[in-house]
Amino acid sequence: MRKAMVLFACLFAGAVWASDPAGEHGYANEDKDAEGEDVAGYILHHVSDSNEYEFEIPLSHNHIPIHLPQILIPLKDGACTPVADPHGGGHGEVYPGLGAGCLDLSITKHTVMMWLAALLLIGSILIWSNRDKTKLVPRGAGANLFEMLVLFVRDELAIKNIGKEEGPRYVPYLLTAFFFILFMNLLGLFPWMATATGNIAVTCGLALCTFFVTQAAGIRAAGIGGYLKHLTGGVAPWLWPIMIPVEFLGLFTKPFALTIRLFANMLAGHIVIFFLLGLIFMLRNPAVALVSVPFAFGIYLLELFVAFVQAYVFTMLSALFIGMSVAMGHHHDEHHEGGASHDHGKAHHLG
Amino acid sequence: MADQEPRKQEDAPGSELGETARQMRAAEPYISAVWKLVGGAVVGVLGGYFLDRWLGTAPWLLLGLSLVGIGVGFYSFLHAMARLGKRK
Repeated sequence: MRKAMVLFACLFAGAVWASDPAGEHGYANEDKDAEGEDVAGYILHHVSDSNEYEFEIPLSHNHIPIHLPQILIPLKDGACTPVADPHGGGHGEVYPGLGAGCLDLSITKHTVMMWLAALLLIGSILIWSNRDKTKLVPRGAGANLFEMLVLFVRDELAIKNIGKEEGPRYVPYLLTAFFFILFMNLLGLFPWMATATGNIAVTCGLALCTFFVTQAAGIRAAGIGGYLKHLTGGVAPWLWPIMIPVEFLGLFTKPFALTIRLFANMLAGHIVIFFLLGLIFMLRNPAVALVSVPFAFGIYLLELFVAFVQAYVFTMLSALFIGMSVAMGHHHDEHHEGGASHDHGKAHHLG
Repeated sequence: MADQEPRKQEDAPGSELGETARQMRAAEPYISAVWKLVGGAVVGVLGGYFLDRWLGTAPWLLLGLSLVGIGVGFYSFLHAMARLGKRK
């Protein structure tokens, strides 16, 4: 494997070197820079969210743009008047941001992708779930695949991370998160589609759902008093004005990590694929395609794997955080029982 | 404190938990102690900076609250560590 990678790297380096003939060095370099910027702009345009959905027609320079509805809600009078584009690009009007009092609730490319993922998810569950109670065994590949994934989330993620008693309660949320993320990740690998999970707002929303479930689990397990006591960090009352903000911010470190992990993983893979293909145009040498197309295909297969892994990781960490939150609540009982369980005792935050 | 549910008797608590979950739960007090150390400084510095900007008292609140934050961070870190040591 390593040998193959070294070989690829050599081929790749050779292609880079060969494509830079010494004669036209000065002029070609400038030109290449401009081209390089073009490729970067193209890639950023394709991975970022936009108000327009584009269907590119293969083997032509045409594309069919579909303009999605713009919904702008002015929080102040006249806050949503379009301003001139500061970059001078011809990409239509630019509206002021939330800071200027304009709430942008437009339907975007990624919103459409989320809806599509949700529709496909609901559809496939309706088709492949076993709703016929007289038949106990699911039939068909789809039904078996779904049963396998659902059982995996329940037995390997929920029960192993939250516990036998409390785990099943959180299975519906974990399943929803798992399948929704999985479908969004996989949708992004189809032509003409976009990856909604490559948008930090989407992953932030998903992580916030986990955050609220985690807090609710903590309050449920410890009671509101125990939960608030946990927030004080167990120090003397005169330190509370500092300790409470510290602990409160500490609550957000876990969902923050969830947000960045999913977002960066999904975005990075797509950018790598685009850049590998973009190299052909940046180096202006068709021979580069011999290297970059197999490479891009390899990364594409890796992305297919990553789509599953990231859905798994998000769900696993959600379950882990919920489990830790639930364990926090059980501490008080044990304290009264004289620390009966050593294993649980270690898990608790307050001593 | 708060109303708590009567605890059900478990056979070998935590036995059904996965390895990662058990390790994370065991590590959680230490992770949270580290956050207290760092978070104290973070809250002190950021709080001081924004209060300074709001009240126009730069740089005094920033300096003062940074020191207080670092101090509280150290105190709560050592406090948590001492309690963890006692429980062993």
